[in-house]
Amino acid sequence: MQKIKPFDHLILILGTLFLCVPVLMALMSSTHTAVDIHSNGLFITPGSNGYATYEKVLTHRGGFTGDVTGLLMLKNSLIMGFGFAIGKIVLSMMAAYALVYFRFRFATVLFWMIFATLLLPLEVRIMPSYQVMSQLHLLNSYTGLIVPLLASATGTFFFRQFFKSVPDELLEAARIDGAGPWKFFIDVLVPLSKTMMAAIFIIMFIYGWNQYLWPLLMTTDESFYTLMRGIKSILQVWVGSQIPDYNEAFALAVLAMVPPVAVVVIFQRMFIKGLTESDK
Amino acid sequence: MTDTPLSAQGPTAPSFLHRLRDWWSGETANPVKRVQFGHGLTPWLFVLPQLAVVVIFFYWPSAQAVTSSFYIEDPFGFGSTFVGMENYADALGSKEYLSTAWFTAFFCVVVTALALGIGLLLAVKADKVIRGAESYKTLLISVYAIAPPVAGLIGMMFFDMHMGPFTRLFAFFGHELRVGVDYWDTTIALITISVWKQIPYNFIFFLSGLQSVPVSVREAALIDARSGWRRFKDVTLPLLAPTAFFLLIINITYTMFDTFPIIDVIVKDKPANNPMTLVYKVYLDGFKGNDIGGSSAQSVILMVVVAALTVLQFRFLERRVHYG
Amino acid sequence: MFKTATAAIALALTASTAFAATDITWWHGMGGRNGEVINEISQKFNASQDQCKLTPISKGTYEEALSSGIAAFRSGEQPNILQVFDAGAATIIAAKGATIPAEDLIKGAGEKFNREDFIAGVRNFYADSDGKFIGMPFNSSAPIMYLNTEAFEKAGVEPPKTWEDFEKIAPKLKEAGYLPMTASQLTWMMVENFKSRNNQQFATNNNGYDGIKGTELVANDANQVMMFEKLKEWADQGLYGFYGAGWADNLKPFEEGKAAMWIGSSGSFGGLQKSAKFPFGAVFMPYWGSIEGAGTQSFIGGAALFAMAGKPKAENDCTAKFFTFLTAPETQVYWHENTGYVPVTEAAYELAKSQGYYDEKPVAEVGIQQLMLPGGEWTKGYRMGFYPQIRSVMEREFNRIFSGEVSVKDAFDTIESEGNALLARFAKTAG
Repeated sequence: MQKIKPFDHLILILGTLFLCVPVLMALMSSTHTAVDIHSNGLFITPGSNGYATYEKVLTHRGGFTGDVTGLLMLKNSLIMGFGFAIGKIVLSMMAAYALVYFRFRFATVLFWMIFATLLLPLEVRIMPSYQVMSQLHLLNSYTGLIVPLLASATGTFFFRQFFKSVPDELLEAARIDGAGPWKFFIDVLVPLSKTMMAAIFIIMFIYGWNQYLWPLLMTTDESFYTLMRGIKSILQVWVGSQIPDYNEAFALAVLAMVPPVAVVVIFQRMFIKGLTESDK
Repeated sequence: MTDTPLSAQGPTAPSFLHRLRDWWSGETANPVKRVQFGHGLTPWLFVLPQLAVVVIFFYWPSAQAVTSSFYIEDPFGFGSTFVGMENYADALGSKEYLSTAWFTAFFCVVVTALALGIGLLLAVKADKVIRGAESYKTLLISVYAIAPPVAGLIGMMFFDMHMGPFTRLFAFFGHELRVGVDYWDTTIALITISVWKQIPYNFIFFLSGLQSVPVSVREAALIDARSGWRRFKDVTLPLLAPTAFFLLIINITYTMFDTFPIIDVIVKDKPANNPMTLVYKVYLDGFKGNDIGGSSAQSVILMVVVAALTVLQFRFLERRVHYG
Repeated sequence: MFKTATAAIALALTASTAFAATDITWWHGMGGRNGEVINEISQKFNASQDQCKLTPISKGTYEEALSSGIAAFRSGEQPNILQVFDAGAATIIAAKGATIPAEDLIKGAGEKFNREDFIAGVRNFYADSDGKFIGMPFNSSAPIMYLNTEAFEKAGVEPPKTWEDFEKIAPKLKEAGYLPMTASQLTWMMVENFKSRNNQQFATNNNGYDGIKGTELVANDANQVMMFEKLKEWADQGLYGFYGAGWADNLKPFEEGKAAMWIGSSGSFGGLQKSAKFPFGAVFMPYWGSIEGAGTQSFIGGAALFAMAGKPKAENDCTAKFFTFLTAPETQVYWHENTGYVPVTEAAYELAKSQGYYDEKPVAEVGIQQLMLPGGEWTKGYRMGFYPQIRSVMEREFNRIFSGEVSVKDAFDTIESEGNALLARFAKTAG
């Protein structure tokens, strides 16, 4: 392999510091009191309030019903993360496959129709979107929380790019072997896309995990509370009259990073597999 | 679009209608792949789920939003006045709107360039090193998982006028950083935080692109091109082009449409005369100010501009992207 | 203690569902401790009777709550009660048919209602031009001036009553090593409440109360311009510090003990007790001795509760019951002491006083007393559509004034012309 120069490590260390120090400071700050954070800003050294904060965050029973626990919020966030990531990969791989591997009318039009979803953010169409959901009786349901978010083009566009760069010889060979469209898709393309699927899974899982505005609008039942709403609600106090519980928000944010990071670690392996896979 | 340039279609340029028909009927004339499956129902079956979701949950509500742009209406739906293009004229005729548009363009170029550049650099290095590679990758990607409201809060605290570490750093170099008061100071904060948020995204996709470069190609490259830069430019970059093109478009839409929560946090939900993007203005007028007609018109303008830009990029940039 | 209370209430709830209590919902825009107090008050209401069961739901911020309420109303999914903030009040009041006036609702349910029970400064802000309550005043606050007691002792000066007093004492505070004054949210302090404290007209059509057609902003009048010319002059002399539009950025120098005075909300004392390391007091927000008839009461800030239309009578009666419960002195005092917002009725104020709350926390009384000052022709409130956007225009121009980009007069000309364009647009929403 290539020679590794210390310079490469230097760049990586600098980049990692730039990205990670803020997160580290969030972790450290979560062990200080809210008033200290309010008066002094972020901390880079640990404080002595950590245990109390994390205990409170983990055991606190919030909400009107008292049912809003860390566990409930975790469950809902996980449903959002997995539901969104899996749904997105399935839908967008299929659509991209049709757009790249089939000769049919309107392919370009369809691509642009899907692509256009990147161009109008949810905040703008939020009122009519709500009306549509209400007419379809999807308010207060997991379907209503997840499916509308799937209407975005990122995944389709990404897989289109990848499929286009897959060598044509593969399809030629498959056709000589007599493989039909389904067989080619399942047996050749899906295994080939592992690295890409891993990348998009991580991104989409985090996207679903971090949703805030849509669940807020769509649900009126505390049993749909997510971690993100918990965090926002802590920070959202009457400016000036109260000091937000910064420590709790940081603690909850740190805890909320654990599942996505686990996803990253697990899918890391697929990155390496992907390498050997495409090497065939 | 991926069709070949006009000149390739023959010595005489075809009529506009002809070209439109070609475009409409898909990529039959210039297929994406040399080999493709034929017509039939199968492609429709594959594309249908996505299409259904897009039509029901995007086009249906969006059509209503576009209709609103021709009205000035009471948000609760009791009264409305048809005003034709007035909402558009109001937006485009305002001096503030134009300066916001210029800032948006500037912001877009800087954030996209920095986020892509740094993301690519880190991905290339992470792909290269062996020792500690796993840790670097995990750390760099994980940052993406931080909750957006907390990310915003951290950014705000870093740039706090009275106690932010960056404010102290700038003071050390003799500059008094007043984010929220000074236009360009706020710009620095917005760019830094927006780039910070987006690097992991670019990193992960560049890395997956690099990982799928076959080892045989790399080894060949190692023999052919001695210098690292040449190897990167002649071998790695072309192989990354499809990913890079994807990321370019995504980063532009990110800066355009997804950075407004960062702006909201940094200006403490009072933009005053601080820089803002066009979408933040839409958010301000529509979501916070309940001016449905005005904000819809602004969104439509934005949509048309970004769509046009994107079409141009597909036409002129994607031609240079070599697939497979 | 809280857990036993929850358990008791849970029992009460299961008991009441057996009698098929009427369910009502309340969407609000509060988080943190205030959100918890809303939950506690709702539980108290449910425990106090068994015909109605109220469920409060947090809908994010004020803006998110209002947008949620609007979207839901258009689909017929609206809650019974929606919390709407001061600047958004014109939007919901202008949409006649979206809400049932609180006063009609309460009287229609056969409950007792008397306007005179409410504190003077609270009475008209969410009412119509005849004084009929449309919204139910809920969380209210007033802008007051906080003082660093040590700074005043060191400089040997007295707190200012008027801006003329301020001009006399400010140089001495500066000599004593302090930045004399900072102020948060200039739109609320130096425009809206400049108008109320000095009894100045803010908009035509009776400050906008008489209808939305033809309402125009009164902003570039001599007195308003004078206020900002003074502020600019003070800023240039180092007597006033301007730190942009952010609330906390302007508060910070006061918390750090660098600024001697800070104009903030009457509710801010709770936070200051934790963050300020020095003794502090508060006085009314200053007015101009030179303006005739000045020294009147201030406008309230905060939010009100609106009863949404389109609900069955039984539910509306429950909403009325809840409104009555909410204005009961005990509920108000609980709310006042736990959140820092002012009580909205005179009886609640008297109760808090008799319990010795203000002996313990004298600063908590300043805001209420300011709201109880004599009123004037222009102190009822203001009603302007798209007001959040008008505030944004003001904030933009204020930054320009203090950076020296525009003159005060030009800035207010811009505010008036852009503000009037927005008001004209809003008039068209009524169709």
